[in-house]
Amino acid sequence: MTESHEKRHSNAVMTAWQFTQEVPHGQDLGMQVVSVNGGEVCMRLMPQSWMIADDGAKEICTGVLYSLADSASGLAVFAEARELTPIATLDLRMDYFRSATTERALLAVAACRYLTDEIAFIHCNIFPEGDKQPVAAGSATFMRNTRGQRFQTTLGQKREA
Amino acid sequence: MSQRIDSLQPGPDLREGNNEYWQTLLERIPYARHLGLQAQQDSSGVWVHLPYQKSLIGNFMLPALHGGVLGALIEITARIAAHGKGAQASYPRILDSNINYLRSAQARSTFASAEVVRQGRRTSLVQVNCWQRERSVLIASGRVQLLLATTAGNQ
Repeated sequence: MTESHEKRHSNAVMTAWQFTQEVPHGQDLGMQVVSVNGGEVCMRLMPQSWMIADDGAKEICTGVLYSLADSASGLAVFAEARELTPIATLDLRMDYFRSATTERALLAVAACRYLTDEIAFIHCNIFPEGDKQPVAAGSATFMRNTRGQRFQTTLGQKREA
Repeated sequence: MSQRIDSLQPGPDLREGNNEYWQTLLERIPYARHLGLQAQQDSSGVWVHLPYQKSLIGNFMLPALHGGVLGALIEITARIAAHGKGAQASYPRILDSNINYLRSAQARSTFASAEVVRQGRRTSLVQVNCWQRERSVLIASGRVQLLLATTAGNQ
């Protein structure tokens, strides 16, 4: 791989990272990208009292975990592919092993299991921060190279396909 | 609509399939309040309305709603539907959900209806369909498996 390829690839990941940080729904929930190491993505969310699943309970609505897994999985496609071609979620399945509570931040760790030019298969675990046992796990299938604009961030320059 | 037995049921009609009952259940869920979910009803049944707001956007270039927003709408709708069937005091717990995205979700109102596929003694399987402009044009569908609340010590 030439040096210019390396640079372009890392730019692609950085743009996808920036894009993920700018997603309005991600900002609403307070999601942040913690790291992208190779193909492995880590995102963090600090639960808030308005994310609770039932008045008087401490458990977080599973829909919040779902959003976190979906975001981390999408970024994991770009981390693995190192290209900014548009993607679309075909499906996402979540297993909720136990309840997540407001006491600790949630970390989503997502990585690609298999990548082709057309499809990406992603797996994602969600952990309470500091815990080795996941509270939930998801697997998602993404279509790659869908029709649509390439990513651009409000900070970055427009990229032509 | 069938007649209510008013003398035995003061207050809102709390029977399954009634939008006042669904609305009562939705209002007990803080995250459902944050999303602004509302129960709606016509002669064909009851469904949940997710009003559009900018904070639901997942792709600001299309623009399209975040897949996780549809996930939350589907899961909460399934929970309400399973709760209505089971009539427990506390909500059922979601075990898993499997959601297929059929079309891009546009920046507009979204609706979700539920059908209880199987009601068991301990679990409930609920199918949820989402649409926007036209009810027959689905944008997402999901299946949610729930564990029903049981009294303490009961298995």
